[in-house]
Amino acid sequence: MRRLLRWYGANPLHLLALLGCFALAGYAAARLVPSRPLGVAVWFTAAVVGHDLLLVPLYSLADRSAMAAIRHRAPQLPAVPWINYLRVPAGLSALLLLVWFPLILRLHTRYQASTTLSPDPFLWHWLAVTGALFLLSAAAFAVRLRAARRAVAPPARSPRPAVQPASERREHRPQDRDGDHNPGHLAGGGVPARDEQADPGEHPGRPAGT
Amino acid sequence: MNDAEEPLPGPFRRSFWRSPIRGPWLTSVLGLILLAGIVVMFVTGLLSYAAYNPALSGINDQTPGKGLLGFYLFSWPAHPEWLYRVNQGAHVIVGLALVPFLLAKLWSVLPRLFEWPPVRNPAHALERLSLFLLVGGGVFEFATGIINIQQWYVFPGSFYTLHFYGAWVFVAAFVVHACLKAPTVIRTLRSRRLMRELRTDTAHTRPEPADAGSLVSPAPAAPTISRRGALAFAGAGSLLLVALSIGQSVGGPLRRTALLAPHGQETGDFQINVTAAEGGITAALTGTDWRLTLVGPGPGTLITLTRAQLLAMPQHTAALSINCVEGWSSGDQAWAGVPLRDLARLAGVQHPASLLVESLQRRGGFRRSVLSAGQVMDPDALLALRVNGTDLSPDHGYPARVIVPASPGVHNTKWVARMTFGS
Repeated sequence: MRRLLRWYGANPLHLLALLGCFALAGYAAARLVPSRPLGVAVWFTAAVVGHDLLLVPLYSLADRSAMAAIRHRAPQLPAVPWINYLRVPAGLSALLLLVWFPLILRLHTRYQASTTLSPDPFLWHWLAVTGALFLLSAAAFAVRLRAARRAVAPPARSPRPAVQPASERREHRPQDRDGDHNPGHLAGGGVPARDEQADPGEHPGRPAGT
Repeated sequence: MNDAEEPLPGPFRRSFWRSPIRGPWLTSVLGLILLAGIVVMFVTGLLSYAAYNPALSGINDQTPGKGLLGFYLFSWPAHPEWLYRVNQGAHVIVGLALVPFLLAKLWSVLPRLFEWPPVRNPAHALERLSLFLLVGGGVFEFATGIINIQQWYVFPGSFYTLHFYGAWVFVAAFVVHACLKAPTVIRTLRSRRLMRELRTDTAHTRPEPADAGSLVSPAPAAPTISRRGALAFAGAGSLLLVALSIGQSVGGPLRRTALLAPHGQETGDFQINVTAAEGGITAALTGTDWRLTLVGPGPGTLITLTRAQLLAMPQHTAALSINCVEGWSSGDQAWAGVPLRDLARLAGVQHPASLLVESLQRRGGFRRSVLSAGQVMDPDALLALRVNGTDLSPDHGYPARVIVPASPGVHNTKWVARMTFGS
């Protein structure tokens, strides 16, 4: 018995729970599948891999492309982390599209015939909401940028202590976990995938430290 | 087995996955949110099936092969009046609200799909098989539900069959998954304080300590979002979906706020879901030749009534809403007509066991439905002839339609032709 359990790899309750699961799922599946076995199998398999093998590559690619494109093309990148001001509105808009695409894209649904309602507004509503999300995000970014600039450029009469820029920059240096304020050390990095900060001189627009 | 021993290609290499926020804590929080939401979905889903009174008659049963899965069925009550509206609204709204969390949860465990070796022992193999049912069943349920409320009927078979049996496949895997993962979740949630995590910004976000479950990246990139930010992102998606659709369930002035929901637009009067044209109803069928046939349980009890005769009977007015399985509600309308129990008495039965209502409708589902004794005897259950002070319009079921409190919209049969009382 003990040998059997070692071979199985978990305790007997684990086996019992899973057998119970398969019994119930099998009972339901025996009623689900027979009507259109191929169709159900295709839908189920698509449901398993749809997110992992379709959505993830798509949104990862979009995310990385946006980061790379903006990082390389924008001559003056702001010091404030900016990616989430792009990511969040784009992600929320994509979420709305993912959920409501049959209505937004006016696919061949029974909607108009059954409800007498027009399918036209959905595309405009989605675009308007998307626009509003980007506007809100831009406004939030502007506020954040202003606050960051104010913090960095104090009035001429009261110059900041020399360490101030370093602590400013530290805010964007998550790997700096020891609280090391030495700017020279920071520029050295040792931080993975942080190329935009590897060479502070590359970004003349960066208010901190350059 | 690690990378040093055996270099694996692409996503099978653990260091391929670089997100610094991926880890058991985030996965556990997302899992807990889904647990709460899916319990609501499952309970409201079961109630939604019971609301059709499938045990009363095969006519009401969209899944007659259910067998043991109908073990819990009970006679659906006619009161409180808001019961079905709230149940169905909650089912659809909570379902929409969970979508971002489901996506986030799937993202959070992504490296597991590529774990290597794919199977460590029989226990691991069985558990992975159950995860196939969990992910497949879960996404299948969300996809069929969301597509159905947009009336895009592309699924392989009847929505009711797919969504009902699919739910049981999903729940079987879900319960086992929740039980097997409960110790991990409890341990993980205790390892990090939620409030502290919610105060940690991106700059101070660190990867979780390496875990046995291989979720934590061995080569984390610098964070671009905190765990707090990731949860807020999913939460914002959730709130946005709810804000843009809840108006169709609440109705009234809020309906216009449902910018992305099928029934967020104002109509001339109130929402419909099957038109007269769709049902094959013509003016000739509903003109002066129209008669309502009442069939009683006694031998040869057969009564025909004209619309004028029905209007001459004592009229009762009730404020009731049409509530759809798709989650929207018409909001309360003032219906006037003859109480169903008065028609039962006319057909010679004081306490009918059931009522079979048949429509003139020539096409489409739900041309017939069977109401329970409790529904027929409810004082607000009507054969409605007028609504909001005017005759029913053709699309609302002229010359007469059934309206029963707390029943699914499709059981409020329109264009009624025949009513058969059972004893």
